[in-house]
Amino acid sequence: MGAAARQFTRVSRWCTIIVSIAVLAPTSSACSVENAQPMPNCETGGTGNIGAQSVPTATLVLCLDPLPAGWEADHVRIDQDGMIVRFDSDRAGDDAAILHYTATCDIGDAVRSPSEQEGAERFEDIERIEPGLRAQRYYVFDGGCIWWEFDFDPGATAALAIDLGDRLQTITREALNESVRESFIDVEL
Amino acid sequence: MSSAVTDSHLTQGRQRRPSGEPPPLPHEFNKVAVGWMIAFVFWAIIWIWIFLSDAPAKWITLRDLEMMAPIVDHRQSWLTPAMQRVNEIGTSWLTPILGWITIIVGLASKRIRHVLLLIASLSIVAAIQTVISIRIQRPRPLGMTIIGDWANSAQPSRPVALLTTAMMCFGLTLVPAGTWRRWWIGITIATLTVFGFAQVYVAVDHPSDVLPAATVGVAVALVLYRVAAPEAVFPIRYRTGNTAHLDVTGARGEAIRLGLEHQLGVDVMSVTPVGLAGSAGSTPLRVSQQDGPDLFAKLYASSHLRSDRSYKLGRTLLYGRLEDEQHFTSVRRLVQHEDYMLHVMRRAGIDCMEPRGIVEITPDREYLLVSEFLDGAVEISEVEVTPDLIDAGLQTVLSMWDAGLAHRDIKPANIMVQGDRLRLIDVAFAQIRPSPWREAVDLANMMLVLALGSSAEVVYERALLYFSEADIAEAFAASRGVTLPSALRTDVRRDGRELMERFRELAPERKPVAIQRWSLRRLGLTMWVAIVTLALISIFVDNLSDIGLL
Repeated sequence: MGAAARQFTRVSRWCTIIVSIAVLAPTSSACSVENAQPMPNCETGGTGNIGAQSVPTATLVLCLDPLPAGWEADHVRIDQDGMIVRFDSDRAGDDAAILHYTATCDIGDAVRSPSEQEGAERFEDIERIEPGLRAQRYYVFDGGCIWWEFDFDPGATAALAIDLGDRLQTITREALNESVRESFIDVEL
Repeated sequence: MSSAVTDSHLTQGRQRRPSGEPPPLPHEFNKVAVGWMIAFVFWAIIWIWIFLSDAPAKWITLRDLEMMAPIVDHRQSWLTPAMQRVNEIGTSWLTPILGWITIIVGLASKRIRHVLLLIASLSIVAAIQTVISIRIQRPRPLGMTIIGDWANSAQPSRPVALLTTAMMCFGLTLVPAGTWRRWWIGITIATLTVFGFAQVYVAVDHPSDVLPAATVGVAVALVLYRVAAPEAVFPIRYRTGNTAHLDVTGARGEAIRLGLEHQLGVDVMSVTPVGLAGSAGSTPLRVSQQDGPDLFAKLYASSHLRSDRSYKLGRTLLYGRLEDEQHFTSVRRLVQHEDYMLHVMRRAGIDCMEPRGIVEITPDREYLLVSEFLDGAVEISEVEVTPDLIDAGLQTVLSMWDAGLAHRDIKPANIMVQGDRLRLIDVAFAQIRPSPWREAVDLANMMLVLALGSSAEVVYERALLYFSEADIAEAFAASRGVTLPSALRTDVRRDGRELMERFRELAPERKPVAIQRWSLRRLGLTMWVAIVTLALISIFVDNLSDIGLL
């Protein structure tokens, strides 16, 4: 066998296997390499506890009820600086809504509005409603902040933000700690 | 019947391997890799248990917190900044640095296979970590003040898993086995110990997040490398040499001796590599006997089979199917083919080496093709090419044409001069009833080899004694740079006399023979390779961050 036989080792069959693994593994939703998490779910728990750990100063912890039809939590990132959940909508577009959970937030020119979350003040900053909603909504409380960023595609109704926003729930850290003590072990988050 | 049987000095001492007896070099999966796989399975069972029940999760978490409490509760002001720095470096910097060094140096040293294995290892480890972390959703250590960088759920620790994988791949791709590799393993253990401790110290991971992560990293990298790039076949070396050549010392050397003795009755005195520079697709060996002439042996392994497949796939992409590009499906068939072609060539009166038999080293994986040793023979490029040698070379091609054979790899390294005999070697690529194009190319290549040691004019003049002007014109109309074996192409280029052009001037003018063959198969294959390559690159780039390289 001649020297030329070495020239194409890059495309040999075993490479195909490796390529297939490398291609299939990341693209398979069951085996994604993406370092993503499910959203904090009020019914199943999900990443609620880890989310609470991301803002240890916050007196309120967030979770989400099942999303309205057409909405999907595309990406959840939780780290030492807080939590970010990105939502895609079949009508408002990709990343149409982003939910932040942080220790602090800058509410800028947002104006106070009645808050449905006990223990939190609500502020709204609506930049535009047409052609697509662009707005921020803040919930400020002791040691933390939860805020929505809405940026809808043109033509999407602003009512979608109300549907999605209604799914946000908060519980007190004490309540969450009590739940952990009862269901798992006797420590605090 | 093989010549080995008829040679009296070879028939003595031959033994049939009884059923159940191991071959000379049994195929064994690496014991260390098996050990790590068992450890990985152990953690997998734990994960499944935790997924099904809270009880083990509670027990493990309590034990973790008991272990961590003395460390976290007694953090030292002088140590804490260092541990935070280790956490930051290990989480954000070390894996990409090691990964990119491995990729860049690996590519520079032509270890494409190893580089792909690094990417595959990191991808698989990242995928495993993602699946487990999503299923288990383990929080960071409860009730402890976290003072380090972290992301998402804790079990198994992603930074530890990726760093372990990167360090393992670095060692298996760049560090030669032996002392250097042992040092690297020591460095890896020390680094991971410090990093693992730092992760616990800053309370971002539990001890039981760190240990399975390291296990996954080691197990995946080790198993992938041992399966796809075993050390015996793809050793890490930095001296010059062909990567296709196998190490014939140690267990394999002993197996070769044993195989030669038992299967061919050869009383081996020594086995030494020979002519490595001229051989790329196999490992050529000189076998010295206690009592008898030296023998020549070519060791073939699955790496050579893969090279054959790649070569033929590459040719199909470059030219289409000008001739039979069906690859061999096993090493056994590859060796059988060469042994058979030696017999066919000799039956046709072509002066090539006398075959002496095949030795099985590892069933279906490694075989030794044994033939006579051309004692005193030198490569044609090392002697003056006399008219007699030119005649012998041209007669060889004529004999092949008459018998319907093609050598397909005519280059100086495959044409030996032994006394006044010109002997053709390395018939692994030879083919029966080749295409007319291939026959013509064989003639052109032989004339170029002969002209390198003489002149185009002399060779052309002698060639007219055996071939018509039309044959010679066809030969050079069929030849291009890409139809020359790379070694011959290099020699012709280095010679500087524009031999190909000179032959074309001497021969009657003829329209070049088209060498591109388009077919649906070629189009499909080309598209498939392009799509897979682009998909791989795209996914690799998209996931750089997730597999720890950004």
